[in-house]
Amino acid sequence: MSAATVASGRGKTPTTRVTVAIDAMGGDKAPDEIVSGALQAVEELDDVAVLLAGPEEAIAPLLPGRARDGVELVPAAEIVAMDEEPAVAVRTKRDSSLVRAAQAVREGRAQALVGAGNTGATMAAALLKMGRIRGIARPAIAVPIPVPGARPQLLVDAGSTVDCTAEWLVQFARMGREYARTRLGVAEPTVGLLSNGEEPGKGDELRKEVFPLLEKVDGFTGNVEGRDFMHGGVDVIVTDGFTGNVALKSIEGALRAAVSLVFGVLESTPDAREAGKVLVPLLLDAAGALDPDETGGATLLGVAGVCVISHGSSSARAIANAVGLAADCVRADVVGRLREAVDAG
Amino acid sequence: MPAETHMDGSPLSRDEVLCLIRERLAEILEIEEDRVTLASSFTEDLDADSLALIELVEALEEDLGERTVGFTIDDDDLAELRTVGDAVDYVVARLERAQG
Repeated sequence: MSAATVASGRGKTPTTRVTVAIDAMGGDKAPDEIVSGALQAVEELDDVAVLLAGPEEAIAPLLPGRARDGVELVPAAEIVAMDEEPAVAVRTKRDSSLVRAAQAVREGRAQALVGAGNTGATMAAALLKMGRIRGIARPAIAVPIPVPGARPQLLVDAGSTVDCTAEWLVQFARMGREYARTRLGVAEPTVGLLSNGEEPGKGDELRKEVFPLLEKVDGFTGNVEGRDFMHGGVDVIVTDGFTGNVALKSIEGALRAAVSLVFGVLESTPDAREAGKVLVPLLLDAAGALDPDETGGATLLGVAGVCVISHGSSSARAIANAVGLAADCVRADVVGRLREAVDAG
Repeated sequence: MPAETHMDGSPLSRDEVLCLIRERLAEILEIEEDRVTLASSFTEDLDADSLALIELVEALEEDLGERTVGFTIDDDDLAELRTVGDAVDYVVARLERAQG
């Protein structure tokens, strides 16, 4: 790690400068929103620098006229498209913005990777370039699920590893638990296995096979169901990447529908519109916690480096928050903590 | 001045290549090295998916590229490598070509 300790001139506790490599061409709104978010992050966060990987002709015009401390361009001529086969794309497009950004972490020029492009390719780039934590067969994406009025839950895996073995799910549980401890401040995180019923015998063959294995994991409380999302009964919900991604997208869709329903009602009659003048600001404030842009992204657990995967439609705000999340994970030594948890398991 | 073709001056033997592939596969798949034999099929015996095979290729290029300048694995050839023995034969042939 090439970070240096920097004493802030404002009299604050010295922080370690973190450099985050960003795939500036990944995502629906790239490069404009990605670059804008990166610049916001450098402006707002203490001791954070960014490497923006992408074609110079696309990135340079989006940067301020004068050279800015903490912002560096990493030239990359190719782009990994959203529909490309992930591992093949990473292997064959070595001059892509994604691979160049991951390579920067491998070479120690950055300590974390942020990408809003092809999720599978971002995972493959992190795995192939940063390597894996020994003892982890496959990485998993950890997504915070908001719980109204309480700390978030973690969903692991939200879409990195579609086909899982029982052993991999146990690894996801251990990593998710340690991540909840490190990032959510939960002293003894509880873990539930997502299934189609609470009873121990419920589920498909994979769920039935992994249940007795998870009983040996500290904090395991048993099966949980889809309705247990956003209710705070368990800190970490473990599942395979296919089910996790379906669950995540279902939650997102349901929340959008609920918001649309509420705002539709508040526009439906003159009395409702009057009530809306009071309620809408309150609702918008409360809904802030449900906005994925506020989180910025999901953390890839199991690779030997920090990698934050942002939503494909990420705004500049989301990217700025993703950079902040990545920097926090570096400073909290999330990778080291996961290594210890895997070794102890 | 002629370029060095390999760092340590001696080509890897077939057994050494097998040893390297077994070690890397064991790391990638989180299995015991004993399970990896010449006859092992990547998909049927070892449950290695396409990502695991690409990890293996990248690892071998990194390991062997340091010893032998010009060593690479052609992605178009990967589909033909069905067993560990196929991979050993392929790597040995590529090493000989690079050192040629």
